[in-house]
Amino acid sequence: MTNIPSIELVNVTKTFNEEKVLAVDNISLEIEDGDYVFLLGPTGCGKTTTLRMIAGLEKPTKGKVLIDGKDIEGIPPEDRDMGFIFQHFEIFDHLTVWENVTFGLEMRGYNDEYIIQEAEKALNTVGLSEYSDEYPSIFGNPGMQKLGIARAIATGAKILIMDEPLGSLDPKVSKVFRHELRNLIKDLGLTAIHVTHNQEEAMAIADKIIIMRSGQILQMGTPYELYENPNSIFVANFLGETNFLQGFVLKLLEDSKMNIWIRLGGPKIICNNFNNKFILDDNIIISFRYEDVYLFPVDYDFDHSTYDWSKMQIFKANLEAARFVGATKRFYLMLDCGDRFLSIKPGNFEENFIVGEDIMVGLDIDDIHAFKTPENLLNELSLT
Amino acid sequence: MVKINLDNVSKSFRNFKALDDISLEIKDKEYFIILGPTGAGKTTLLKIIAGLLKPKTGRVLFDGIDVTDQSSGDRNIGFMFENYALFPQMNIVDNISYSGRVHARDETQTQTLVDEVLMMTLLTGRNDAYPEELSGGMKQRVALCRALLNLEQTKLLILDEPLKALDAGLRMNLRRELLLMAKSKQLELTVIHVTNDEREAMMVADRIAVMDKGRIIQVGTPHEIYYHPKNLFVANFMSEINYLEGSCAKETEPSWDIQKRSEQGDKFFAEIHEHSVPMPINIGFKEIFAVYVKKQECNDINHGEKVLLVVRANHMKMRIGDRVKDKKNAILGRIVRRKFMGVFYRFEVLIEINGYDKIMVITLPATSEVHNSFLENLKVTVYFPKELGMVFKHPGEDVIKEVLKLE
Repeated sequence: MTNIPSIELVNVTKTFNEEKVLAVDNISLEIEDGDYVFLLGPTGCGKTTTLRMIAGLEKPTKGKVLIDGKDIEGIPPEDRDMGFIFQHFEIFDHLTVWENVTFGLEMRGYNDEYIIQEAEKALNTVGLSEYSDEYPSIFGNPGMQKLGIARAIATGAKILIMDEPLGSLDPKVSKVFRHELRNLIKDLGLTAIHVTHNQEEAMAIADKIIIMRSGQILQMGTPYELYENPNSIFVANFLGETNFLQGFVLKLLEDSKMNIWIRLGGPKIICNNFNNKFILDDNIIISFRYEDVYLFPVDYDFDHSTYDWSKMQIFKANLEAARFVGATKRFYLMLDCGDRFLSIKPGNFEENFIVGEDIMVGLDIDDIHAFKTPENLLNELSLT
Repeated sequence: MVKINLDNVSKSFRNFKALDDISLEIKDKEYFIILGPTGAGKTTLLKIIAGLLKPKTGRVLFDGIDVTDQSSGDRNIGFMFENYALFPQMNIVDNISYSGRVHARDETQTQTLVDEVLMMTLLTGRNDAYPEELSGGMKQRVALCRALLNLEQTKLLILDEPLKALDAGLRMNLRRELLLMAKSKQLELTVIHVTNDEREAMMVADRIAVMDKGRIIQVGTPHEIYYHPKNLFVANFMSEINYLEGSCAKETEPSWDIQKRSEQGDKFFAEIHEHSVPMPINIGFKEIFAVYVKKQECNDINHGEKVLLVVRANHMKMRIGDRVKDKKNAILGRIVRRKFMGVFYRFEVLIEINGYDKIMVITLPATSEVHNSFLENLKVTVYFPKELGMVFKHPGEDVIKEVLKLE
């Protein structure tokens, strides 16, 4: 594992159909050795085109794709050290498991001894050696993808290119297999690039996530960074479950930090996490995660509690419904103006709130983000 | 008012037994979920209720009246199946308002209703679009609108994977709308909703029927099914689990454990005593897990019998080092992997049992404390509250492999 490659895209643009369709719009990114990276975004965001350019299957219209510092165009395909895993497997049904793995090695003209050694090692690694003489049809979908990985690493792939590799799995199977997939790839020290539209899958597996939209990169970082500090409404909504409430700027406060008072449809709150410059009366969207909403009985004695309330903002809301969802409980809440939001608590959260009555809601100032109200909010929230 | 009863319903397609002796009662105004993996027989069951398929044997009753031989049209149901069946030559509004029942209604009233459902499903402004111009998610919502518009008279709404083709954001939104609509005082609907997503099921259901291989395995509230699953299949279907193989170490009688705690005035445990009995499980070396099991659930488990001890990943707890009060119920291990998942962290902890390595999965809320203190390679003690351990008769290695998809 001495020479693991890294990948770099420099100002890459891709157009189709005589420049009428702009698929990828001037993006730059770096992927470090051994990182498991996700390209995540809705249908048509350019993630698959980006992946195909990294794989050398598509030539950029402008810009460069560098593998380990070298322009990919100068590297012959067989020396690119890449393996491909697709949604529909591309496994040869008429060949045995063993033949599927040795096929690529034979094509490269290695001697028998080397082929046997590498194929055995690869099948061992993915835990399929006992199936060598079987045909792939005995496998379920996870088995097929493991065979795909064995085939890739047997030929010396250091980079795995994966396009919706969990896309055709039953949801329950996918939830189990995704952890196995990550562990396998991390243990092998491979660099992996995985395209999906499924945010839960990305959060569960990724070291880093690149969120794309309309051919551009909106934000990239670790799942933790993106989750804690989304730079836009779109990202906040796309990763995890987030509340959005509309309001306007009531007052700007110039203390050590820039604070703003925001009037929601009822309560007013303070916010200090934002990237935009706001002026008085600006329309604003605030976001906060479901799990960051604290709940108290309406007669809770805040004055005589030991909790540090200095950063907590309290207001009233009506409890519309409450649902037990196993690991969590979900509380559906409504402000006087009719705007709705949600709170989730652990499944064993003890309460005796009554549906239909008011409860007190608490928000920590650090958990609230403010954004300028976009022209088409539904678009930003993928609700179209 | 619509109450539905199925009596011993079976259905086969050629030699394939799609439904095997299903008996079920769905109460009036209930939000009822049919949950199971692909191929469990969920849609077949739904079609039999809707009158689109006839059972081979058994009866279907609506409010006590046998409707087994009634056509679908006579049953007055609003339904929506996976392949939306929209009319390609009609625009959205016509597709939604097309139905003899709706046309018999006053025009302006229909218009108001159409506007309402379009707003709820965020389709407002697309009235004149034709199905071919719509994305899969939009078509799904149009089909949902049409089902909702038939409700005025039927009070029974049947939904087959109604949210499947939708993006995550929209799906969350519509779940809430469906739930609030079903529970609204004006509509008082009975809803039967098929899904393979356990979280969706728990989010909306009053009761859930879990199906597998043409049979109903368990019916209950989300709480019952989650905390008291009938077997390994149901336990695993509802969330990620850990299991340990062992044997029932003692007769299931109140033991020193309970009495000692009661003497100390620990009311919580005294209360558990009334409904549950402690069941010590021997997992083969010094650790012996004492688990509280509901009395009726352990009646058929005998002393010395092989059992599975199952604990949900989110019911496991973890402490750094080996300082745990109750050492009997704890295992030492090492965090080998941790992954931030958003609301929670997922940990894999390596433990050793009888010389074998085993991975225990533990999920903890992603608080800053968890973020900062539980790091990879740390030595930890894993344990769980006794009342959250679940015990099943050992179903055999093959069943375990099949259920947990360990191929």
